[in-house]
Amino acid sequence: MSKRRLRESSEESPECISQVQKILRERFCHSCAAGKLFGLKQQYSHLLELLRRTTVHGESNSALIIGPRGSGKSALLNHVLKDLREMNQVRENLLEVHLNGLLQTNDKVALKEITRQLQLENVVGDKVFGSFAENLAFLLEALRRGNRTSSCPILFVLDEFDLFVHHKNQTLLYNLFDISQSAQTPVTVIGLTCRQDILELLEKRVKSRFSHRQIYLMNSFDFKEYLKIFKTQLSLPDEFPDEAFAQKWNNNVQHLLEDKAVRDVLQKLFQHTKDLRSLHLLLMLAVSAVTVHHPLLTAADLQEAHRQQSSDSRANIVHGLSVLEICLIIAMKHLNEVYDGEPFNFQMVYNEFQKFIQRKAHSMYNFEKPVVMKAFEHLLQLELVQPLERPSARAQREFLLMKLLLDSSQIMEALQLYPNCPTDVKQWAASSLSWL
Amino acid sequence: MPNLEHPAYPADDLLHLESLVPCRESQVSTLLSIFGERQQFSFPSIFIYGHTSSGKTYVMQTLLTTLQLPHVFVNCVECFTSRLLLEEILIQLQGCSGTEQTSPVRCDTLNDFVRLFKQALATQELQDETLYLVLDRAEQLREMEANILPAFLRLQELTDRNVTVVLLSEIVWELFRPNTGCFEPFTMYFPDYSIGHLQKILSQNHPPEYSADFYAAYINILLGVFYMVSSLEFLWFCLAAANERDTRKLWKNIEPHLKKAMQTVYLREISSSQWERLQQDGGEPGQLKGLSAHTHVELPYYSKFLLIAAYLASYNPVRTDKRFFLKHHGKIRKTNFMKKHEKTSNHLLGPKPFPLDRLLAILYSIVDNRVAPTANIFSQITSLVTLQLLSMVGQNDQLDGPRYKCTVSLDFIRAIAR
Amino acid sequence: MLVFSPSLKPVVQINSLCVCLQQIQEDLNKQLLDNLVSFLSRSHSDFQEKTTKWTCRMKFREIPTAALILGVNVTDHDLTFRGLSDVLQDSITPYVALLEAKDCPGIKNLMQKLMGQLMNCDIEVDSLEDEDCVQVSQNRIRCSMPSLVSWYENVTKKTDSETPSKKRNSSSRHWQSPPVVVIFKDMESFTTKVLQDFIVISSQHIHELPLVLIFGIATSPMIIHRLLPHSVSSLLCIELFQSLSCKEHLSTIVDKLLLTSQFPFKLGEKVLQVLINIFLYHDFSVQNFIKGFQLCIVEHFYSQPLSVLCCHLVDLKKRVYSLSHDQCENIRRLPSFRRYVEKQESGKQIALLTNDNFLKEETEKLLEDLHVYHENYVSILRCLHVFTSSLPKYPLGKQIRELHCACLENQVWETEEYESSLQLARMLNKTDLVSMLQQCVEILMSSSGKEFDKTVEKLKEFLTQFQNLEASQERDVSVSSQKELQKKTDLYHLQKTLLELKESRRSKKLTKFEMLRFEVVDYIDTLVRKYLVPADTRTLHEIVYFNAATVLRGHLNAAPRTALHTALNNPHWYLKNQALKCDGGGISNKAPDICIVYKLHLECGRLINLVDWLEAFSTVVMASEEPNADAASSDQVDDIIHARFIRAVSELELLGFIKPSKQKTDHVARLTWGGC
Repeated sequence: MSKRRLRESSEESPECISQVQKILRERFCHSCAAGKLFGLKQQYSHLLELLRRTTVHGESNSALIIGPRGSGKSALLNHVLKDLREMNQVRENLLEVHLNGLLQTNDKVALKEITRQLQLENVVGDKVFGSFAENLAFLLEALRRGNRTSSCPILFVLDEFDLFVHHKNQTLLYNLFDISQSAQTPVTVIGLTCRQDILELLEKRVKSRFSHRQIYLMNSFDFKEYLKIFKTQLSLPDEFPDEAFAQKWNNNVQHLLEDKAVRDVLQKLFQHTKDLRSLHLLLMLAVSAVTVHHPLLTAADLQEAHRQQSSDSRANIVHGLSVLEICLIIAMKHLNEVYDGEPFNFQMVYNEFQKFIQRKAHSMYNFEKPVVMKAFEHLLQLELVQPLERPSARAQREFLLMKLLLDSSQIMEALQLYPNCPTDVKQWAASSLSWL
Repeated sequence: MPNLEHPAYPADDLLHLESLVPCRESQVSTLLSIFGERQQFSFPSIFIYGHTSSGKTYVMQTLLTTLQLPHVFVNCVECFTSRLLLEEILIQLQGCSGTEQTSPVRCDTLNDFVRLFKQALATQELQDETLYLVLDRAEQLREMEANILPAFLRLQELTDRNVTVVLLSEIVWELFRPNTGCFEPFTMYFPDYSIGHLQKILSQNHPPEYSADFYAAYINILLGVFYMVSSLEFLWFCLAAANERDTRKLWKNIEPHLKKAMQTVYLREISSSQWERLQQDGGEPGQLKGLSAHTHVELPYYSKFLLIAAYLASYNPVRTDKRFFLKHHGKIRKTNFMKKHEKTSNHLLGPKPFPLDRLLAILYSIVDNRVAPTANIFSQITSLVTLQLLSMVGQNDQLDGPRYKCTVSLDFIRAIAR
Repeated sequence: MLVFSPSLKPVVQINSLCVCLQQIQEDLNKQLLDNLVSFLSRSHSDFQEKTTKWTCRMKFREIPTAALILGVNVTDHDLTFRGLSDVLQDSITPYVALLEAKDCPGIKNLMQKLMGQLMNCDIEVDSLEDEDCVQVSQNRIRCSMPSLVSWYENVTKKTDSETPSKKRNSSSRHWQSPPVVVIFKDMESFTTKVLQDFIVISSQHIHELPLVLIFGIATSPMIIHRLLPHSVSSLLCIELFQSLSCKEHLSTIVDKLLLTSQFPFKLGEKVLQVLINIFLYHDFSVQNFIKGFQLCIVEHFYSQPLSVLCCHLVDLKKRVYSLSHDQCENIRRLPSFRRYVEKQESGKQIALLTNDNFLKEETEKLLEDLHVYHENYVSILRCLHVFTSSLPKYPLGKQIRELHCACLENQVWETEEYESSLQLARMLNKTDLVSMLQQCVEILMSSSGKEFDKTVEKLKEFLTQFQNLEASQERDVSVSSQKELQKKTDLYHLQKTLLELKESRRSKKLTKFEMLRFEVVDYIDTLVRKYLVPADTRTLHEIVYFNAATVLRGHLNAAPRTALHTALNNPHWYLKNQALKCDGGGISNKAPDICIVYKLHLECGRLINLVDWLEAFSTVVMASEEPNADAASSDQVDDIIHARFIRAVSELELLGFIKPSKQKTDHVARLTWGGC
């Protein structure tokens, strides 16, 4: 069946495939801007109402949107803002200031950015301000004195809200919340964060000025809904130019949904994480395999994508080590077993390795200590081993205490896949404490 | 392996690309399909990991340059502060657009960076093509301010431009993730070259004077010796070193010879150019003394004794001092004198710190004639510390008894004591 | 009349000494520097030619590196590095940067330092273009490798496009693109991270910036492995260079500085011993040795009023005749002169002791004698060294300085070592003996002494006799015992055979060769007895020889702990106050408070109870105030005494003898030894 499909589909025009790629890629990789919302009706209406009241009635407010990463906080906000802008009363009547905790790392930078986004650089000029509050007040005042006599509501969006908490004295937060409480200028502050304990991080005076309005986003859908999401995300929109292909594509998606293998993959992913981003990642990988010769997604694509996504990176790294380095790791594994996870140092590992060499000298060349040391350093560089303290120039490397970041099952697994591994090394790895 | 194909790029380029990246076709094709067409969006960030010399940097660089994709390539080791990194990216971005306007960029914070980045992109005729920002040795990003790495991972969102950040590292992604989590990149593994791969690559550029078959066989032997310990980079090196060997010698007893070469070269005992000269002269490596041949350190008389005393103080428990260094010590029963585990672990656990007074006491007892505690003795202790033979433990501003550790090995002490 | 200000003298001598030293040091380092220079010029030949050979491609990222092993005498390194950077700037490249670990705690500081040094040197090289320099300093804000690379490109481009006259000037010394040399002065103290980062960064740019690293290593090259992991050290192309060992360095200095008649000033045996001991036992520092030597000169000219006569032979006459009466008296007071006078007949004695002019004549003669003695001494010493340095086990030392010390110390021919070395010399084989004799002849010929004509003749005669012997030896076959000795065996066997030989000698007749050999050795012995008399038996040696070893030791080998202990324990030593003189272990109450407190604390254990201490203190102090028991019997301690006690205790704390203890509040902990 697949062969037949291949032949018939190879007639698809390249433009069409390119179009598919474009649409889906945008959806998967650029989801914050235009992604669909799933199961967030209530939160959506809540937030929309809040913001509408600000813009229309000039009510000040503050709220936090809390949810784990990838739960759609930014998407929700973007949707609300988009819809808000389309409302008649709102148009031209809302100033937005977007701040991000990753970018505005201190209040000075943040203030500059606010000034810039409000386009008040000229007004501020070279003025010197005594305090942060004074500066902010001046900005707001300047806005009021602008062309409109009634002041225009301002929306502050603070992404990565938890990072603003670490600013000195939380000055920015304090001032924003303070303004939002007093009835000077209509100001609404929306914070986005992934930390559930965000309120604990606020200083008392900041906390008391916050409205305590919190909007929680949870990925609270079950597997059935998850499948539905999968379907809608993968389907082509109705306005797709080549309708026939869209039809075919969407049918194929429906087929996929019923495929056992696909369901298995999705089930695994769902159990691993309900995060939609990882679903997007999977779909994106699968979609990127779509070409002119291979125009429709298959279950194999999804399986392959899942395999790529879920490979154990540490095991991969172990796979690329030299035999000597593997031996050292095995020695560490034994040490971990003997001393019950206590930290070890190079000298101990070397001793253990020596013991092995002396018992089974024929297969391995007896390396000199400096050579072994270099191999050990390589492991250190790969951070498969981690020093407990910062290595200083003063300390001797041999005696620096370390711990292994692999567990024994990972080691054994990697060893099974390891090419050309001498058998007695394998035996050594498998041997338990009995030979001691 | 399939031939590379992609609608967005001319087949010639792809063929050329394929010839440039032997044994890495599958990775390249995956990357190509992920990148998609020029204008299409791709992952906001891609994390590529793999061992040293598994071709990460090389593949990325060849891929981007051969296909003439707009890109910025930065090595993070070089940019040891975040400012240098950001400025470097912006400078390269300016160069990307071709306009010879090299006004010094000043960019202190990420905030400025995002603004300038947008500006720079706006001025260019990229027509919304994806810009690739490759950060090599990305593990260095962890050393910088905490916001740098998460910000780069979601640069697409922050700048709202079509940009893909590619991070290259030897370290697995799990060790990058900050405490509070961040945007997860797409991770991709570059496996190391297998023996077969190596053979293929190495045979590809055989010197013209030998036949390809002969060379392949030669490389086979070579790999048999070196594969156990070495990385690719090292192999290249050995090859260069061993290359000038006479062919007849090759067949005879090359194996032990190469083993020896490995020992010396692996530790960089002698430099590659020295090795080459040696080969040209037809000499044996034994003639040239390697780095480790010079282990003996000449020390002044009292420094020797100080070092020995320090070694004794570091590796013997305090309780035994009386027994070892006093002439008329009381009788101690031998059986319970030293606990068993103590004896074995002392040399495993490394040196213990000891106070200055103990060092001097042991010194007085091991030197035959009287030693005056002159300034010279004390200055010798400090000079031993600067030579890294001893090391000072703890703060050195404390008036009361500085504590030291002996940082040399038993072999070293033996050599000195002779 | 000319007045010789003694203060001017040492300056002249030290100056000439410095010039000489510099020469010596340059010669010593020449070999090393030549090697380095050739390494540097080789290192970037690829870069010059822009070749892309097959092998070059393999190591295209390797940085040429010279590991320079300098020995543990860190104090001497500075001089070597200065010489090195001078040579480099003269012959290879103007771009040399010297880095020290203490300036580079982080990679950022290192880059700053590096760029600062490199770009400054640029300003020095062509100071004409001022505006360019300004630009450079402005650009320096960005200190990263790319900016360094662009700077380098600018600079080299500039030299290309310069005016022909200038180009000739610069290209004669440097190439088109001279390498940039970075010297790490003290490799051991650099932190791993900094080095690692720097090497990785610069290896990225090695094809744009021809960098060469020089590691100054004090201990052993293994430190490179300790500091750098394999991934980094594989970026280096290391070659090893070893500087002259400091012991050899010292020998040369001694040889050139002391065993020469160039300088009138001489070191006495004890002083030399002190200097050499400090060198061997403590620091291995040639620099310190030279400083000690200079101190000796200063001390000699400062403390010995007659040192005005310590001058070259040409000035001697003038100076002797300008001596004042007091100075003549000084001469008469010299012990060696008194000994000399006692040996003279009575008439001359009187003349010497009363007539200044006669004294001056005699002095001049004696000093000339001394000079001649010294010249002869050196020549014969070298001859003797030729013999002793080839004997097994070196009974008189391998180095000439050891022999020199032995000869200065006492009459060398009376020592056992001399005896055994003569014994051994009597068993030397012929070829060795002949070559030694030839060497001796050369030494004596080249010496300026006139007395050696006869000696040379004699030695030559020996040589011809040996040659004749060779002709006749073919017939003489019976030298079986000899053959065994021809092989150099160890001392034990040698002595054994010697004994056997003695036994056999009674019965057997000596061969001609043996006879001759005995003659030679005996002749050498007579030379030694004649010329190698210890200097302090010579008259007027005090003028030229500096022998105040104790003074020197006090200066050079300070013992702060002992001094402090003496000061506190026995204040009389320094204060010279009779009242403080105490007998036995008693504590005088006249001593300063801190001394009393110190002495009391010596009797205590690890922890000292302050109350007890105060009580003891007050008891000692009160002992002087007349012991009228009724007034002082109360337990209450006088406030003033209390205050004095507290002050003394805090002084002790300041000196680092005690510190407040955390275990018990009213106790202090003792930091020094003892107490148990």
